Amino acid sequence: MMMSQHAVELCTLLIEDHFGELFARIFTTLQRYERLSLPRLKFYSRLTDRQLRHGLTAMIQHHLVYYFTSLEDNNTYYESNPHAAYYLVRSGKILNLVEDRLGEYAARVMEAILFLGHTSVSHLETLPELQSLTPTVPNGVANDNEELQEDEMDAEDQPGKTNGDHAPEGKPAPFHATIKALASHGYLMRVRDAHFQSPGDNLLEAQRTVSSRSDIKALKGKRQQETVASEIQELVHNRTHADLSQELMVNGLPRGIKRKFGHNFNGLENGVGEHQMTHEEIHWPEDGDGSDNTPMESGLVVRVNYEKLDVALRNARFVTLAEQDAPPATAEVYDCLLRHVEYATFRCRDTDEIPREREEGEQWTVPIDAERILGDIDPCLDLSGAFAPLESSSQSVNRGGKRPLENGVNGDHEGSDDESSGPNRVWEVNQHLQLLSQPPHNLTSCVELYGVPKWRVGFRGLARKLRHLELERMIESRYGDVAIRVIRVLHAKGKLDEKRLQEISLLPFKDLRQTLASMQSGGFVDLQEVPKDAQRQPSKTIFLWYYDPDRVCSSILEDTYKAMSRTLQRIKVERGRLKDFLEKTERSDVKGHEEEYLTEEELELLQRWKDKEALLLAEVARLDDMVAVFRDY
Amino acid sequence: MAAAEPRVKELASKLYDACVEQFDADHSFYQQDLLSVSVIPNDDVMLLLECAQSLVNQKLFRLLEGQNKRLVWRIVAREDAEKLRNLSDDEGLVFSVIHSSGRSGVWIRNIQNRTNLHKSILDRCLKSLESKNYIKTVHNVKHPTKKMYMLAGLAPSEDVTGGAWFTDGVLDANFINSVAGFIEYTVSRKSWYEDSADRGRSNKRIKTINGKADVKSETKEKSFLPYPANYPGYPTPEAITRAVNESGITPVQLTPESIIQLLNMLCFDKKLVALNDGKYYKSLKDPEAVKASQARKPMEDSREPQPIKDLGKNGMTESPCGPCPSFRLCTPGGAISPETCEYFDPWFEKNLGF
Repeated sequence: MMMSQHAVELCTLLIEDHFGELFARIFTTLQRYERLSLPRLKFYSRLTDRQLRHGLTAMIQHHLVYYFTSLEDNNTYYESNPHAAYYLVRSGKILNLVEDRLGEYAARVMEAILFLGHTSVSHLETLPELQSLTPTVPNGVANDNEELQEDEMDAEDQPGKTNGDHAPEGKPAPFHATIKALASHGYLMRVRDAHFQSPGDNLLEAQRTVSSRSDIKALKGKRQQETVASEIQELVHNRTHADLSQELMVNGLPRGIKRKFGHNFNGLENGVGEHQMTHEEIHWPEDGDGSDNTPMESGLVVRVNYEKLDVALRNARFVTLAEQDAPPATAEVYDCLLRHVEYATFRCRDTDEIPREREEGEQWTVPIDAERILGDIDPCLDLSGAFAPLESSSQSVNRGGKRPLENGVNGDHEGSDDESSGPNRVWEVNQHLQLLSQPPHNLTSCVELYGVPKWRVGFRGLARKLRHLELERMIESRYGDVAIRVIRVLHAKGKLDEKRLQEISLLPFKDLRQTLASMQSGGFVDLQEVPKDAQRQPSKTIFLWYYDPDRVCSSILEDTYKAMSRTLQRIKVERGRLKDFLEKTERSDVKGHEEEYLTEEELELLQRWKDKEALLLAEVARLDDMVAVFRDY
Repeated sequence: MAAAEPRVKELASKLYDACVEQFDADHSFYQQDLLSVSVIPNDDVMLLLECAQSLVNQKLFRLLEGQNKRLVWRIVAREDAEKLRNLSDDEGLVFSVIHSSGRSGVWIRNIQNRTNLHKSILDRCLKSLESKNYIKTVHNVKHPTKKMYMLAGLAPSEDVTGGAWFTDGVLDANFINSVAGFIEYTVSRKSWYEDSADRGRSNKRIKTINGKADVKSETKEKSFLPYPANYPGYPTPEAITRAVNESGITPVQLTPESIIQLLNMLCFDKKLVALNDGKYYKSLKDPEAVKASQARKPMEDSREPQPIKDLGKNGMTESPCGPCPSFRLCTPGGAISPETCEYFDPWFEKNLGF
């Protein structure tokens, strides 16, 4: 896979940060020379055999390197996998998401899998840190979720190992149930042999296999080509198919969904009952079928399914988009709808590359009706209070009608109240979704099937809107709000000359020209010359301004990669400045007992450093959000 | 001939009056038409010719060439004819060219081409016509550098002036902004339902139960609720036009077309949203927010480095690399590098406060 200079730089930095210099060296060598056999790799990287073998094995374990053993010359070739390298940066976000959805323990399981690259379920089961529900604390360092990302960074020196003395307290962890929940959500996938080979190799191998088959050879001409193409696709699919979610779903729903309302009763700001919460957070249907915690097939090897997690992360972005304009209750309803859509969406898009603007068709997700969503909505969420009455005359009636519901929420008898207002709530959910279907965002769309309104989401259009939003934010901060109006006019109308542009945007010529010129030098708009005669005199030439979001997106993506690597490099610089001090704090006797060994100034300095590092890492994560929008969604 | 002169003149004047009476002002008269008014006795063609010629001489008729090279006449109003009679031949020629251009005006070079007059003569003619207040210069928005003329009594067409938003061919930014602000606020007031205080409180309580305390709604006394999706009460362009014209913020009456132009602009600003293909308009911000952002506007000019960010921030706008002017030159180990970057330290200070 060809990557740009900045993307490669970033991936190398990420690998170096997570796994150290050896991995980074191997990775850069493979990036620079593409595919190499072991002797060539040894020659170029100037590493010893021992180092190389250790390095490559571990990198294969983490899917950072693909390998392929050719049957023709019996050589094994190695190839870098920049995609996996890039996803290292997203691990913090993924853990946050899993924790939010499935609770703290699930996040720890996920963390262990991320840390191991891929692993078998039986191995995971034996890990000491996954034995108990309460988080074990290595050496006294609090394992806060804020620090998850840093933990990932420092994973090399701190392999999540406990001191061992801590006997697992409390009841045994629902390990298998958690793994099943993760798998049925699609966050985990089965590792197949083909996953260790690059997609290109898989395709070629499939091609070889198919074309050597006798029944294919018997065919001729166009029919042969068609059959070969479809057979190859099928074979590749069979070999790489790794979805675990379908077989584990119960009634089309994944297991172990954290019930939103259950969680609400616990009270987030409670603080005291944090430990009890971890027990109740996950809604286990233990009473129903006791089979839930039965072990999965122990030979199963799993890894993290980034494609599916991107879908979940993307949905979170759409919910924030909904929160901007719509009332909080509507956003919550939307969240529930997207949750249902997520279960049936396996990847963000079917094509490798994002198609060009205006050449992309809409793909609709499965339609879902309001009644199914309603099951997931917090019963005490006030659905009706979020809307104004349709006519101002009926205002008092409507408000009177709402009162019993309010009482129900405040009192304890919401159960009975809910049942009575059942169909009413479906109507209200429909109302909320209808509000979302309105411009400017058109977050949902309605289809009527057999007279029942069902709701679906047009992800391609929404992903495009996200991209435009990110670009517009940059334009606004760089060139001001005048520029945004110009950009939107150009985007809506295509190529325009200055006169038409002025008429539509209603901006004075001076402002318009200044903005256009500065945006052109920034690479956001371009000018096309259309000469009226062969001489191409400027006076006889029409100048058309245009805005090409595809081009701007790709250049901003590169800039974002670059900014991410600069930020990571800056962390190193800052660390270098405090090298001696930080080495002291990381000494094995000091770590975890900072308050005993360090003076007050030193403690303050340490805190500052931690803040600084957190800020820089947070910035990298924010930039990653943009990369996700421009590249993955 | 001389004896016949007064008779012809009399007849001609009769013919003229009859024509004015029976046809509208820009009717093209063929020979048939002139005979049909039955002023000329015996349909005497020769006599008609003489009369017509006499009228043309008096500038009461304009001679034109119609289809199939037939002669066509048109009436000229008596006042105009009076003017024309006072002009020299060249001036008359220029005047008629300008007259023919109507409300759109004519470029000086086009006058020259059409009249075939020498530049100095043409300039003299234009000067004298202008001093007599027969013609005037106009600014054309499309061609600001071209010198255009049109009859003094005419108002320039929309094409020439660019519509209601231009004064003297220049876009009137202040006027536009004040009208746009008014429209946004008006539409906003009709797009949101103002919630009374007690409902607002109960909302708040419910929110805290959800564990999602909304800070905004607590600080504001007024809260605004959106209307359901099929709400029919959003303002239409006609209603907005009426509101603008009644408000007295414009010295002239604005047409619905100009208002729609402005509404489109507001849509591009994402301040308004058009529903049902522009049948209704809805505001995205509630009236309080509109008021707040409009009050903030003048302050923004004084503090230029911090523009209002309606769209929010993203990674690139927050990072020191985003606005960095030398970002493209930045390489590790180079003259501009992450090691020597001078933007990071102020950034730490700003974000961490030390």
